[in-house]
Amino acid sequence: MPRQQRIRDPLHDLIEFDIERSQLEDVLWRVIQTRAFQRLRRIKQLGFSDFVYPGATHSRLLHSVGVFHTARRLMKVIEKYLPAKDARVDQALAAALLHDLGHGPFSHAFEKIGERFDLKMANHEAVSEILIRDSEISELLRDMGSGFANDVADMVSGSGTPTIYSAVVSSQFDADRLDYMRRDRLMTGSQHAGIDFEWLMANLEVGDVEYSVDETRLKPVQTFVLGRKAIFAAEAYVLGLFQLYPTVYFHKATRGAEKIYTELLSRTIMLIRDGSVGKTGLPEMHPLVKFARTPDAIENALALDDTVIWGALPLMANSNDEWISKFAERVRDRKLYKCIDVRAKIAHDKDDGAALSFEADAACAVIRDEIGKCLEEWSIKCPDAPPRILIDEVERSPYNKLTEDTKGPLNQINIRTDGDHLVDLSKRSNVVAELKRYKAFRVYHADDDDEAKTKISEIIDAGISKWPT
Amino acid sequence: MADIDYAHQAAAIVRDAGGYIVGRTKLQKIGFFLETAGVGSGFPFRYKHYGPYSEQLAAAAQHAAISHLIIENESIANWGGQYSTFRTQMPSDPSTNPVRIRLAQEMVNSDAVELELAATAAFLAHERFPDPWAETARRKPEKAEGGRLERAKQLYARIRQIPTPRPLPEI
Repeated sequence: MPRQQRIRDPLHDLIEFDIERSQLEDVLWRVIQTRAFQRLRRIKQLGFSDFVYPGATHSRLLHSVGVFHTARRLMKVIEKYLPAKDARVDQALAAALLHDLGHGPFSHAFEKIGERFDLKMANHEAVSEILIRDSEISELLRDMGSGFANDVADMVSGSGTPTIYSAVVSSQFDADRLDYMRRDRLMTGSQHAGIDFEWLMANLEVGDVEYSVDETRLKPVQTFVLGRKAIFAAEAYVLGLFQLYPTVYFHKATRGAEKIYTELLSRTIMLIRDGSVGKTGLPEMHPLVKFARTPDAIENALALDDTVIWGALPLMANSNDEWISKFAERVRDRKLYKCIDVRAKIAHDKDDGAALSFEADAACAVIRDEIGKCLEEWSIKCPDAPPRILIDEVERSPYNKLTEDTKGPLNQINIRTDGDHLVDLSKRSNVVAELKRYKAFRVYHADDDDEAKTKISEIIDAGISKWPT
Repeated sequence: MADIDYAHQAAAIVRDAGGYIVGRTKLQKIGFFLETAGVGSGFPFRYKHYGPYSEQLAAAAQHAAISHLIIENESIANWGGQYSTFRTQMPSDPSTNPVRIRLAQEMVNSDAVELELAATAAFLAHERFPDPWAETARRKPEKAEGGRLERAKQLYARIRQIPTPRPLPEI
């Protein structure tokens, strides 16, 4: 009986690592034991989503293992078309396991803070790349060959040529999405966004699709496409993912918590950099203080996780800086700002179809800029007071954007026709063709701040009043 | 800087390139070189699939389109591919650094793939890769073939000849 290591997973049941017969699985099992990978235990997959869905406390560690497991299944699809063993199979499986390695506490909000202060180590892709290329993980990966770690890092960062093997890591049917969609649905308890996973897998094929840069055509690349019998499964897949955004990922309370957290950490980093660490409530040797002072040190980024932030909140709540103490309390006690949905108000004042229109975009742009001016005025008057208005603006297209900002077959779901052509699913599915881009524009204020609430209403009304007739 | 200001800055890239840019990749790479040369607007760039890329510039361009500062049209190539074109009629700004205009106009008519290769090599040079061109070719083999890498080097040499406040890396 060969030696197996097993993980019991609520989504996939048994996930097995054959550490005796598979060199890759033996190496990856050892990678899972490293400090950098174990840190993912302490980073929740969905950040503040448990403020809305208390069950959604699953970690990035188990998701990563689930992605590896799903990647193995996708490899079985590829084997039907390309039976010859290719080195990129192992690279893609390792990349699947390691794709989330660099995430920080409350991943996406943390990245926003990184953008604000230009902190390279707050960018999960940069951290993942460093850890895979040069850390104890790369030492372990070296057992697979000298260039293996770099090839895995390239696959994670998407820097190489798109191939069917990199499609396992990044494509419309990549292992990441096939895991998180189902896992997030399971853990939130949401009853929508269900997909016919087995039917999708049974109908996945390998196809050659066009590839270009702007108007310059390049050689076609191989990616996953679907057979004609999977049109309705594909429809449900697109629709399911699309529904997860407004209901889970972009839920107004989750996003409201992220905004407060972003402002809390921004203020903390700013005070530490200004030499006022004493005002933050944090001790000199706290991981957040070290990170703010030396953000380029990967060790300082690795010392951060969700538990560090939760542990810091009681200390910050005792800070003598009003901004930090109030916002730390708000996050700790889930006392969030109240949300005003601007696009919902536009739909109410104009008509339902108006909320996503070009005119609405223009009105939102005006409103955003006016609120920005108002915040600036208040900030000049009371520079140490926490922001009284928070803005959240998000958009998502029905298809996942894979390559930055480009359109084309890699950013759509391709269905094989009876005539053996590939067509975009939206050409065959009326439901998908009718899906409009999801857009939300929300403005948040403290429940007891009537002045801010009134000001927001005035700005929104003024913005909508400029609507072209 | 407020969002509307960033939208103006995105439109200014199109304006300084001559009022018309074909393709989102080209807009991004021109923006990247302007930043690298010290005549940009503060858009931060990170490495993505197509080389250096700025989420903020992409958002600012979208905002600029909403605010009618630029007109973005979607075009279909004769082989079926889709790409964007950007046009602006924003009046010229006499205070614009002429170096910025020279740089943008040197790049605007270049091949998008070659410009991407050049931008990638410059970015990797900043990341301290010992041989940025070799690393670029390793990462983008299908784009580097057919003499494109050599032409990207020539394009880069032409860009680098323009004296800029912050010299572009010597690679």
